[in-house]
Amino acid sequence: MRRVFDTGNAAITEAAILAGCRVFAGYPITPATEIAENMSRRLPQVGGFYLQAEDECAALHVCNGASLGGLKAMTATSGPGFILFADPFGWAVSAEIPVVIVNAQRVGPVSGITGAPGQGELYLSRYLTHGGNYETIVLAPSSAQEAFRLTVKAFALAERFRTPVTLLADQMVTDSSEALTLPETDVELRAMGLEIVPRRVNPGPEFYPSTDELDVPPVVLGRGTGAACSDWTPTDRGLDTEAVEWQHRHAHRLIHKIRSHREALLEHEAWHLDDDPEVILVSYGTPSRVVKSAVAAARAEGLRVGGLRLVSLWPFPDALFARKARYLAVELNWDGQLVREVQRAQAEGSTAHFLGRCGELPKVGELVEAARALSRGERLRRRGWDVEAY
Amino acid sequence: MDALAEKYLRAEKWPGTACSGCGLRLLHREVLTAIDELGLATDDVVWGTAIGCTGRQTYATWKGDCFAGTHGRVYALATGLRLALPPEKRILLTVGDGDAFTIGLPHVLAAARRNVDVTVVVGDNLGYQSTGGQYGVTTPGGSRTDSSPYGVWEPGWAEEGLDVLAVVREAGAAFLARHTVLERRETIDSVKTALSTRGFTLVHVVYGCHVHYGAQALGSADLGVIQAWIREQTGARYRTGVFHDARGARPEFTERLRRQVADVRRRTAERVRDGR
Repeated sequence: MRRVFDTGNAAITEAAILAGCRVFAGYPITPATEIAENMSRRLPQVGGFYLQAEDECAALHVCNGASLGGLKAMTATSGPGFILFADPFGWAVSAEIPVVIVNAQRVGPVSGITGAPGQGELYLSRYLTHGGNYETIVLAPSSAQEAFRLTVKAFALAERFRTPVTLLADQMVTDSSEALTLPETDVELRAMGLEIVPRRVNPGPEFYPSTDELDVPPVVLGRGTGAACSDWTPTDRGLDTEAVEWQHRHAHRLIHKIRSHREALLEHEAWHLDDDPEVILVSYGTPSRVVKSAVAAARAEGLRVGGLRLVSLWPFPDALFARKARYLAVELNWDGQLVREVQRAQAEGSTAHFLGRCGELPKVGELVEAARALSRGERLRRRGWDVEAY
Repeated sequence: MDALAEKYLRAEKWPGTACSGCGLRLLHREVLTAIDELGLATDDVVWGTAIGCTGRQTYATWKGDCFAGTHGRVYALATGLRLALPPEKRILLTVGDGDAFTIGLPHVLAAARRNVDVTVVVGDNLGYQSTGGQYGVTTPGGSRTDSSPYGVWEPGWAEEGLDVLAVVREAGAAFLARHTVLERRETIDSVKTALSTRGFTLVHVVYGCHVHYGAQALGSADLGVIQAWIREQTGARYRTGVFHDARGARPEFTERLRRQVADVRRRTAERVRDGR
């Protein structure tokens, strides 16, 4: 093991290299630029290729092409680049290409504030492309160490599920420096509970089987398999078709290969959920670290408060909200995104509440104050721009 | 199915989706003839396409490995694929004029600048024809189409002295040619040269859509009308032949990159060995 003091961006880079990533194509953007910089230095050292693309849309296309040729690939960006992935992300979803995408969320909309954390792309990460008919995998780290672990996991999931996997980080995770423990060997990696899934090659002729099975080898070109791979609705052999029957089969696979095997990816952290909480604070990413302190402080006051930190965001872990409670979603946006999913998933008789911040973290004190109010059954004190419904 | 098609194409995909009599099918055969004359096997070529008439006609017809990318971005996809494939595998892209010269032009220029070893064959049907006949950047000025009922008013890439191939040349392409589809021998020869070149190569082949462009702009969907028009324009509107030949002038993209990576690895190993 190696102990270093470094950023989330550095952790993501080292994780990708260890996971076997050999192509990175990107476009500089704050606060993900360091991943590109680190990759440009590290990849050639291990025989990999770094490429600066003409735009983010091209960057993910290059990654898709490299993966289609059999190399593991990753790109990294922030909101303004993430939106340009719509086209290649959809292609990778439908053609079932393993690829890893990092989004270091900053403050939006559009260019917004470049060097501050935001959480405005919860829904965009779920619906990054058009047309529906798919499920997707999104993981959210809350520290540099976790960014390392989830990056390795993202590569494994991408291979096993044949799909893009998004690491939805935020500026504080990627930019902040923290103590990191990095494995140097496969043995050390496995000791951390991680696995590396090597690239396999689908031998055909059923390149797009109508099944929800996990671990179908990816389609790789250039190996003499006669593979066919496109953005059109495929037959099982990958030929383009306009037949609704094949579209149904394809959509079923894209949705249920993930939903049927969600146990392979679902991950969360719970605080005092078994201590009969009345109020449950829900969060992901960096705000969770404040939430954790707030839950502890509220419990010290004798309040029946618990916390739920989502590590995998999509598919949304509905089952975690089976307890009747007053849920408080704490997120880095003013419009309320996570709270909508909580409200949808929560047990009957529950209520959903929202505490937003953006560009800066909420304070422990205000979270405890909100927990107190909710414990007393009061509504949260409204500010002018708060969403009425919450 | 004739011998050439039998040798290279998937029976269930031939003769493809093009309209009866379409020059695209002729172009498809010209490309296959070039491959055949080079003595290439199905495993030697990975064949990519995009969307539109050319994409629909050519996708997955090839018995070897095939792919279709998103509209206009297949050049970026092919750049990534080039990184992963061994240098001896040829990457051939058959695309339309909209794909290469409109939505995809920035990516074509990026691939040319890097000198990525891919061969692009552009089948030019003079506009957006699979969507019913709207004008594009290769539609002759003044033409009436479904989206230019008063005539195309904006200058395209073959008007007022402009030439898109000149732009691609300046971007660094290794080999460029232009033909009309009726120049069969010349087209075959240029595709052969392109496929034999390490670097970015593009062959622009004008065939014109008789169904839409013929009916809308030339007054008749009769095949003879568009063929007569193509013959008349060959050497006039379309200066055909090899447009640019800079084969070997610049290193190929992945060749350069692999060399650099090998150099970094060597120096890294030396540093580790010397304890630096």
